[in-house]
Amino acid sequence: MLGLKKKAWSPYLAGALIGLLQVPAFIFLGTALGASSSYVTVSASLAEFVDPGIRALSYASKYLDGAKNWWQVALVCGIAIGAFISATLSGTRRSAPSPVWARALGTRSTAARFALAFLGGFILLFGARLADGCTSGHGISGIAQLAVSGFIAVGAMFAGGIATAMLLKPVR
Amino acid sequence: MSIIAAIGLGLVMGVVFGVLLEKSRVFEPGVIVGQMQMRNFIMLRIFLSAVASGLVVLALGQLTGIIPKLDPKATLYGAQLLGGFLAGVGITLAGGCPGTILCQVGAGYRDAVITLVGGLGGALTFAYLEPTLRPILLTGSPGKLTLHGLLGLPFWPLALGFAAVLIVALYAMERWRPWRTELGDNADGVLPPAERAEEKAKAEAVPARV
Repeated sequence: MLGLKKKAWSPYLAGALIGLLQVPAFIFLGTALGASSSYVTVSASLAEFVDPGIRALSYASKYLDGAKNWWQVALVCGIAIGAFISATLSGTRRSAPSPVWARALGTRSTAARFALAFLGGFILLFGARLADGCTSGHGISGIAQLAVSGFIAVGAMFAGGIATAMLLKPVR
Repeated sequence: MSIIAAIGLGLVMGVVFGVLLEKSRVFEPGVIVGQMQMRNFIMLRIFLSAVASGLVVLALGQLTGIIPKLDPKATLYGAQLLGGFLAGVGITLAGGCPGTILCQVGAGYRDAVITLVGGLGGALTFAYLEPTLRPILLTGSPGKLTLHGLLGLPFWPLALGFAAVLIVALYAMERWRPWRTELGDNADGVLPPAERAEEKAKAEAVPARV
């Protein structure tokens, strides 16, 4: 049904359909697609159990409550569910880390990959929150609104990503 | 909108988003690292397609009045240059973006759960450091600058023009190198070493030309 059993769709079609998701986001929430602020909502909500004082931080408190914040948390949870369904139907469920890491890092060590995954995730979200957006918020949404912030952030993201990738081993 | 309705809508949109990210293969670390090494362009194809269709629907939304107001983010040069650069470093090391990490988790990649925990740690660390960073990097914004605002033009003609340029670029990219050649045998963007791939392409190309 709907080609859900296929492993891959045309990137042009899939990309164009992702862009269409801006319509419900704007109509119902008056905002564009984004993902990275949900990490603040979730981590600050968890932190509140041990540090109720986090509510006093004006930045953190902006992300703790409200429909828009929890809409985005639901959105990223939905992404995991959708990916699970899609990968299951096409028979492309994964388990071990991608084989690209053995090439890029020159080692098959799972411990090395796990350490780098943690570090990568940490820098990724720290940077995205500092920039006030990620590949979704600044990338597909910022540039689609012709926002200057989107062009600057995306340029900087590719600069950082390419510089780092060039330090790794060639993947092909 | 109530919180419950917002969560329901988010879940539905998220499932659609997740299927699209999974089918596009952009969540694959092989696609991301390959893109950052300029050896695989699947990410750029998806990204530019999403931007192009976003430009078109937002332009139409403005013209028809269905989307009366856009929501661009404020410009903060230092924060966006430094934060963007750091995010880029993270994209390569994580092999994904904040949204696609969840896609990796759903698809089953074991390391993605650790990336996710690292991401939550990074976001929380930023939340605690924000009061310290604010005077250095997060003040003095010139406002929510946009290209159409700077040029004093309405959004839609510029958006449609830019979308047209992107569509031509995507068409040229497909002519230059069809996307299927970058998919890899296991649909993970991991491709055979370049020399062997060239030999294979030559061996296949010769009889085809006869």
